[in-house]
Parts: sequence; C-alpha cells; structure tokens
Amino acid sequence: MVVLRRGYSVPEHVSLFAVGAASLGAVYPAVVAHTGWPGLPCPLRTLTGVPCPFCGMTTATVALSHGEWASAAAANPLVYLVAILVAGTVPVLLARTVGLAGGPRPWPAAKRRRVRWAMAVVVALSWLFQLHRFGFI
Amino acid sequence: MAYAAENPAVSPAAYANWGQRVGAYLIDYVPIFVLELIGIVSRNAIIWFVFILASLGWWIYNRCIQAGRTGQSLGKKTLHLRLLSEKTGEPIGAGMAFARDICHILDSLACYIGWLFPLWDAKRQTFADKIIGTVVIPE
Repeated sequence: MVVLRRGYSVPEHVSLFAVGAASLGAVYPAVVAHTGWPGLPCPLRTLTGVPCPFCGMTTATVALSHGEWASAAAANPLVYLVAILVAGTVPVLLARTVGLAGGPRPWPAAKRRRVRWAMAVVVALSWLFQLHRFGFI
Repeated sequence: MAYAAENPAVSPAAYANWGQRVGAYLIDYVPIFVLELIGIVSRNAIIWFVFILASLGWWIYNRCIQAGRTGQSLGKKTLHLRLLSEKTGEPIGAGMAFARDICHILDSLACYIGWLFPLWDAKRQTFADKIIGTVVIPE
C-alpha cells in the first residue's frame, strides 16, 4: 500500500516538486539532444499565440540547473522565487526528516489569505513580463 | 463521508497528495499508452484503428465507468485512493467522471499549471476537480 501518511506543508510540497523538476532540468538538454523531443509547448500559446504567466519555466529551470543565471531570469524570473523557496525549505525538511524539528503547523487563515494575494500579484506580474517578452506590450 | 459538508475545516492531509495522484494517473494511462504504442508499431492502419478503439474503450471503462461508479479507477484502486463528490461524499457517476476528464483540458491550458494545483490547494484539487466539485481522498 503506497500511502504517504506524513503531513507535508505546502512549501515542502512545492519544494519537493521543484527539486524533482530541477533534477529533470539537469538532464533535459541531453534528453532533447538524444531524442529530438521538442518538449511540452504551452497549449495557450500554441492555440492563441498569447503566453501564460508560466511560459519559459522549463527554459528557466534548465538554465538555472546549469548555472546560467541570466538566461533563467530572461526566460521567467519566477524560477528565482521557487529557488529561494527551495533554499529556505529544504534545510527545514531535512531537519524534520532526522527528527530535529517537529511537523509543520497550519498557518492562520489571515496569513494564508495574505500569501494567496501576494501570489496572485506575483503571477499577474509574471504574466506582464511574459507579454512583454513575446512583444505584446 | 461528506468531506466538505461535514468537515468544512478538514486538513489538506485528509486528501490524496500530489504524488499519489500522479501515481494513480500514470497507472491509469499505462494501458492506453501500451495499446496505442502497439497500434503505432504495427504500421497497419486497421490494426492501429483497432488498438485506438481498444484504448478508448479502456479509458471509458476505467476512467469514466469504474471511477464514476465506484470512485476508483485502476490507478486509484492500486494506490488506495477514491474520487468523491465534495458535497455528497459519494462517487460522482460515469457522466460526471467523463466531464471531469474533459475538464482536465483546462488543467493543461496555462503551461499545465492546473495539474500542479494539488501541491498547494487546500483541498488538493485540480481545476477539473474545482469545476466538477470532486476531491480525491486516501482510504
């Protein structure tokens, strides 16, 4: 039975995913070069030509996992936000794994609301960035 | 178990996490991938068509009928998960399970971000789950 009973916080979930994505990003160019696979295009941009706020994240993740800081920022600066989250969360995650820290505690509703609004603003700014990057504004 | 109705403040840990959901999804789609691959490598239009129909049949049986009537497709059964209506706590029926899979198109629209929503959503729902009003819970 494969059931993860341990409770992970939202930052932990996102960080674990980001670490996995970065690991894939490290081998992604080799896979593309070997197979000729063009990667997953953004359906919104493919259908309408308009980018979404998350366009460029694959390029940015691959660039960051190869230490190409400027290329990562040029593709999608959101990747830096995720990298900061990973840098802040992974030590806590490791401390919890070895028993040096307790389990995650739920945030108060007001704090969750503030974070949701902040993320909405960040996503809106990212969309503006992508619209500018693709010459719409 | 009417999750939302009886437990409005239920913890996200009460819902299946992203890894479990991805695992169940992959298990559901492995037979479809294999059937379509056999059809493609056969290099025969009739055999290809038969295998496309077979994969479509499997998708309807597994993802719509089984998941809709029992809450468990093969993947969810293997990983001990269940798809339920967040209002009634009951399986959603084949028609709504079909509609939910169609709504997964919206999960892919903006760089597939909807598929990542269970990473941070309070009820660990995708866009499709929010539209149809479903949750996936561990047994």
